[in-house]
Amino acid sequence: MTLLQVEDLTITYRSDPPVYAVDGVSFSLETGRATALIGESGSGKSTVARSLLGLVDGADIGGRIVFDGDEVQGLEAARWRDYRWGRIGLVFQSATALNPVLRIGLQLTEPLVEGDGLSAAAAEARARAVIDLVGLEADVYEQHPAELSGGRRRLALLAIALVRDPELLVLDEPTAGLDPVTRAEVLALLQRLRNDRSLLLLTHDIDALDGLVDHVGVLYRGRLIESGKVDDVLTRPRHPYTWGLLNAHPRLGNVKDLRGIRGRPPDNTEPITGCGFVERCTQAVDACRTDDVTLQPLTPDASTNGTDDGRQLACLRGGLVPVLQGRGLRKVYTTGPALNRRQVVAVDDVDVEVRHGEVLGIVGSNGAGKSTLGQLLLRLVDADSGIVEFDGGDLLSMKGDRLKAARRRLQMLFQDPYEALSPRLRVGQCVIEPLEIQGIGTAAERSAAASEALDSVRLPTTPGFLDRHTHELSGGQLQRVALARALVLDPVLLVADEPFEGLDPSEQAKMIQLLKSLQVERGMSMVLVSHDMAVTLRTADRIVVIHEGRIVEEAAGRDLLRAPQHPATRRLLAAAGAEVSSVSIPANH
Amino acid sequence: MAQDAETGAERGTRASLRPPSDGRVNHLSALAALHLVTIFVLVSLVFFLPRALPGDPLNALLDPEVGGTFTAEARAELEAHYQLDRPLGEQYVRYLGRMATLDFGWSISRQSPVSSLIAARLPWTLLLMGLALTFAAAISWLAGTTSAWRRGSRSDRALVAVLTLARSVPDFAIATILLIVFAVLVPVLPVAGNRTVFAQYTSIWQEAGDVTAHLILPVSALTIGLLGSKFLLVRNSVIGSLGQEYMMLARAKGLPIRVQKYRHAGRNALLPFLTLLGVQFGFAVGGSIFVEEVFTYPGMGTLILDAVDARDYPLLEAVFLVLAATVLMANFVVDLIYTWLDPGVSTGARS
Amino acid sequence: MTIVSATATASRAGSAGGIRRRLDSLTVGLAIVGLFVVVALLAPVLTTYRAFELAGRPIEPPSVEFPLGTNGVGNDIFTQLVLGTRSSLLIALLAGLGTLLVGATIGLLSGWRGGVVDVVLMRVTDIVLALPRLPLLILMGVYLGPTLLNTALVISLVFWPPSARVVRSQVLSLRGRAHLTASLGFGAGTWYSLRRHVIPEVGLILIASLIASAGRAVMLEAGLAFLGLGDPSRVSWGRILRDALDFQALFFTDAWSWWLVPPIVALSLFLLGLTLVGIGFERRANPRLSRHSEGTAR
Repeated sequence: MTLLQVEDLTITYRSDPPVYAVDGVSFSLETGRATALIGESGSGKSTVARSLLGLVDGADIGGRIVFDGDEVQGLEAARWRDYRWGRIGLVFQSATALNPVLRIGLQLTEPLVEGDGLSAAAAEARARAVIDLVGLEADVYEQHPAELSGGRRRLALLAIALVRDPELLVLDEPTAGLDPVTRAEVLALLQRLRNDRSLLLLTHDIDALDGLVDHVGVLYRGRLIESGKVDDVLTRPRHPYTWGLLNAHPRLGNVKDLRGIRGRPPDNTEPITGCGFVERCTQAVDACRTDDVTLQPLTPDASTNGTDDGRQLACLRGGLVPVLQGRGLRKVYTTGPALNRRQVVAVDDVDVEVRHGEVLGIVGSNGAGKSTLGQLLLRLVDADSGIVEFDGGDLLSMKGDRLKAARRRLQMLFQDPYEALSPRLRVGQCVIEPLEIQGIGTAAERSAAASEALDSVRLPTTPGFLDRHTHELSGGQLQRVALARALVLDPVLLVADEPFEGLDPSEQAKMIQLLKSLQVERGMSMVLVSHDMAVTLRTADRIVVIHEGRIVEEAAGRDLLRAPQHPATRRLLAAAGAEVSSVSIPANH
Repeated sequence: MAQDAETGAERGTRASLRPPSDGRVNHLSALAALHLVTIFVLVSLVFFLPRALPGDPLNALLDPEVGGTFTAEARAELEAHYQLDRPLGEQYVRYLGRMATLDFGWSISRQSPVSSLIAARLPWTLLLMGLALTFAAAISWLAGTTSAWRRGSRSDRALVAVLTLARSVPDFAIATILLIVFAVLVPVLPVAGNRTVFAQYTSIWQEAGDVTAHLILPVSALTIGLLGSKFLLVRNSVIGSLGQEYMMLARAKGLPIRVQKYRHAGRNALLPFLTLLGVQFGFAVGGSIFVEEVFTYPGMGTLILDAVDARDYPLLEAVFLVLAATVLMANFVVDLIYTWLDPGVSTGARS
Repeated sequence: MTIVSATATASRAGSAGGIRRRLDSLTVGLAIVGLFVVVALLAPVLTTYRAFELAGRPIEPPSVEFPLGTNGVGNDIFTQLVLGTRSSLLIALLAGLGTLLVGATIGLLSGWRGGVVDVVLMRVTDIVLALPRLPLLILMGVYLGPTLLNTALVISLVFWPPSARVVRSQVLSLRGRAHLTASLGFGAGTWYSLRRHVIPEVGLILIASLIASAGRAVMLEAGLAFLGLGDPSRVSWGRILRDALDFQALFFTDAWSWWLVPPIVALSLFLLGLTLVGIGFERRANPRLSRHSEGTAR
């Protein structure tokens, strides 16, 4: 049965300017279940936590909070005492919640004496029992907060919250700032506590949720933007923010590097119109700024395999949207002498999808078909069959202006910059070329755009440099010029085909960093075609392994590393230096 | 005097100057040693200062306004009495010896042993100071906590204004105002002495009642003088506590307002309050001198003033030393209580 | 914004009204003190008699000739009050500066040098603080003689601990600051650092301390005079009170109302002015304090 029901909770602090801390949050918690609300600072987590005990002051509060059938929102202090601590407990985040001049024992027995009317002896007995329960030593009872270490203070706060055995325990960042050992203790304790009561965790410690909670909701700027079963949301995030948040979170077992979310953290003094995430979203459209965006149940589609029940999402575009989708792609080359024609199937019935803001890695050994696939996706070679969905149409059958417009948003970075850049042209001319072809802007504007592109790849923009011939530059510089050229049209997808091949390791490292930062900054999707598993693991969100023209495996980097399925994958990993066992381990989370 | 709240707050830092590795016992022995050194310094100061000044020390005994000189016999007697014919070192040693046995010598103006004079007066002053300090502490604690709790309200602002004003009025002025009011305007309370003159009491209760009636005005005057800085200190400390996270937890726990106020917010204000209390002993001594003078109360204050008037040096110095020793002992007791109560000082905060 | 910063925003808004109030206490205080300074300076113009001149008959009620009447021997009380202003200002200045000098020097030395010097000086401060100061003042006053200058001297020697403490803590916090370390790195000596960096920053605190000391000094001098231990050649407010209370028949007539009340009012008003100025400066030097004592936020 439902223990806690929050409906359309809206909390606005009456400061100057007003702070819109919580904006229409609704969720519920069943008895005996555990739920988490994830969010960063400014998301409204702490405010929500406090509102559940009626501790929010100086704010206008709208909506309903129903606890065990009773409406508690808007109760006066005297009535709140029936719920506070006896039925709902709150574990504060900060150790300053412990009064420094009072002994821990007193801070534990107080609510028992005042709230339950226990005698001093009974209260002490119970307090000592709770101290034991949370794993603290017995003499903590006589000590002052200053005598405890940070981790044990957190345990003391837990004990205080538990002392009257509440039905619902709300925890505000229970693992923040703890050393690993204490963190493990706290999590183990929470596992034990789960059995007897309901838990609501407010945290940004995503790793802690595994196995602890059933359900998770993601808060951004005071709104719930995604919710669902914890496994679903954390392994298959649907909302761009959730996805970005998970990318930014250091997790053991993640091989890929951290990525931030572009833009700045939200400013809660501005009321939201449209979607709160629109400024930072890589797939936002105009409607996202103006239309009402609310939490809606997700219509399960093919990709979810029906496991996504209970999932809700607040996104006008229905979640992470693919920027490019190739289906049934097939390319056959005819080679060989005239009399002995052979058919080589380079790409054989491949489905591949690139989503907004992500980096897709396509790995395979040489000749596996990966470069061909990359070119197919951009229609740089013609496909024998299949379609490439882009911008509402099939790229492979677009014509005329529509095609030209599409080309502008899809760019390629080639393997060999010497080949890719014309030796006749000077640097400046190379970079301007796409603009000229597309007929964009005046000469002055093009020049400015070119300078900006060169600047973003950290090359000089002096007239001297712009005037240099391409053969005067080093491999690394040249590749950057090529990159600048690709960026000057501000594409939405960049396919990079073995872009680090010809580079020295130090240049390679710089190039990787550059690509990554540009990718985040511009919200650009990227397809990285490579035979180097090590580099791809570090850079890509998702990896597809291609072997003899077919996709044989597709997974996130760490899963691939941990439990590669296909022999081709294992060979690639071994070639990159990973130790791979020959036994196949079933992949689990 | 009323104005020295800053001193009290800074006194609180005294504990922090001690190395944190001291255990409680070490801490207390260090304190005790400090106080003993202070007394020793004072005793020596009192000895050397008059002798260090130029001129014939005996002339200092003469009232400059009256003039006059000593007769040869008088001079000889005084010299023998003060042992001025002996070398300085020997005088010092004898002096220390006398001090150690609490032999304060002979009062010239009163013609009796100084010790007995002090013994007769000291209890009355202690009674006056003790009552005033207690009342000031209790009132300021309650009022300060309540005022902080209701900060910004009209009653709070009024209290702050009134008590800031009271701090600007010197002790003797307060006493004088009370004197005016009760001597002239509302003559209901006795304004002089500690009991009715020539009274015959039928029972101890009647005597107690008479003394109490006489105590009301002096105690009130001294209390008001001590109230101002204490109240503001308590108020500010409690306000500081109120902003803290642990107050929110106390509220979350469902504790009644009374408990939140006094146990959680109040206790945090307790330590600075105690240090101010310690410092105020010194002020209470000074204040009581004024109050005793205005209300002609027979205590150490009036004794010291009489001694000054009569140029009675032995009496003067002895009264000073006794007062100083009393204050130092009181400070020591306060330090003891502070150490016992402060969870951070002696054991040292662990991170 | 988290809850914490939301509250901070709220209290910032609340203390906007407090800023107005803070200015008021400083201006009012300065106005009051200024008034007394003016009176002291214009004393010769305002008074027609001399302090101890037997100008009229004893205990004459206020009139045009004697705005506050005459005292027990026939001196003009108004003259005494006005001239007493001079004494108060003089002692405020002398003793205030003296206390500041002694206290600030000790505080600077203690804070800057640290180590043994600091420990020793702080112990000395503890000792002096623990003493009952008024009796000590009385004692030393008797030994040295009751002139105003001596009183100022004795006050400076006994009442410096609070200033020393305050200055010391400022110096300590300044010492840790990077720009001082930087200039030390450039080879700056102690004196240069003190002069160029420390003293200007400590300046505001010094002024606040000066004002507090001045106020204390005025109160003490008045107290001593009240007890009959003041400078016999000078008239001061405390002395007027003393003379009044010594007069046996004081309460049998109305004399108390024009003899006893004015010096009390003058003294209280002057001290109130100084207190307000002190509060004003303290708030400027330490804005956090004002947000606490104003009634703001939750």
